[in-house]
Amino acid sequence: MVTMKDWALPEIDLERCDRCGACVERCPTAAVEMRPEGPAIVRPDDCTYCALCDAVCPQEAITCTYEIVWGET
Amino acid sequence: METTVRALRRIPFFAGLSDETLARVANTAIRRAFVPDETIIFEGAPCQAAYFIVEGQVRVYRLSLAGREQVLANLGPGRIFNMVPLFQARGVNHATVQALAPVTLYAITSDDLHQLVGRCPDLALALLRDLATRLDHLTNLVEDLSLRTVRGRLARFLLERAEEGQITQRWTQEEVAAHLGTVRDMVGRGLRAFADAGLVRLDRQRIVLLDRKGLEDQVHR
Repeated sequence: MVTMKDWALPEIDLERCDRCGACVERCPTAAVEMRPEGPAIVRPDDCTYCALCDAVCPQEAITCTYEIVWGET
Repeated sequence: METTVRALRRIPFFAGLSDETLARVANTAIRRAFVPDETIIFEGAPCQAAYFIVEGQVRVYRLSLAGREQVLANLGPGRIFNMVPLFQARGVNHATVQALAPVTLYAITSDDLHQLVGRCPDLALALLRDLATRLDHLTNLVEDLSLRTVRGRLARFLLERAEEGQITQRWTQEEVAAHLGTVRDMVGRGLRAFADAGLVRLDRQRIVLLDRKGLEDQVHR
């Protein structure tokens, strides 16, 4: 079952990923680890959606998406 | 054919046409469907038709020599694309158009549209109005690129997306950069600067706009 927290995580495309490990190295909360199949967010509760993994990936294999809304006043 | 007429009537471009003209248009319109990420037309290919969107969303973009995408527009139901090159001597597609969602549209070939325009004055007038709107949009885009900073363009982009009300699309920073004619890093820096200044808040999967006046000031800086 996909929970709201699972849904709100960076998406990792393992086919584009070349296993360089830059996302693991850059993640400020160590939420992502390198597994045999590729990087995975193993501690989703620690992911702050800072999007640094998206920024640092040289293969553009990680995407963080945003909706743009007004804040409540 | 009646189904085609009804579908075309929902497209604003055709809304004011006479029943006779719309019936003639419906006779030539070819219904086509596309899946997400499918390319509908390629930039530079010979122009074969104009396209009228009934359902779905498409992205219209061009590529620079360095491979950077410049998004010209995102279009939804009721919008038209590839009309301009139909009336040019060189006649090649001006941009690549890609489906963002499942798309249904009608295509009218160059020959058919030329004949229709010649026979139906109300269609010719609708075409002129559409081209004028298009020209206005591109003029604004040129103004944006030449007169505004990246942060000014980013602020305007955020304000326009939030004003749309219903959320029709989620954006990656890469897509925002392509839309603004810049690179991802500049968008990231801009968003962090706006967050530091209290103009926006970066939540999980949300950019929350907090200060309308502050963002408008960024647009006009």
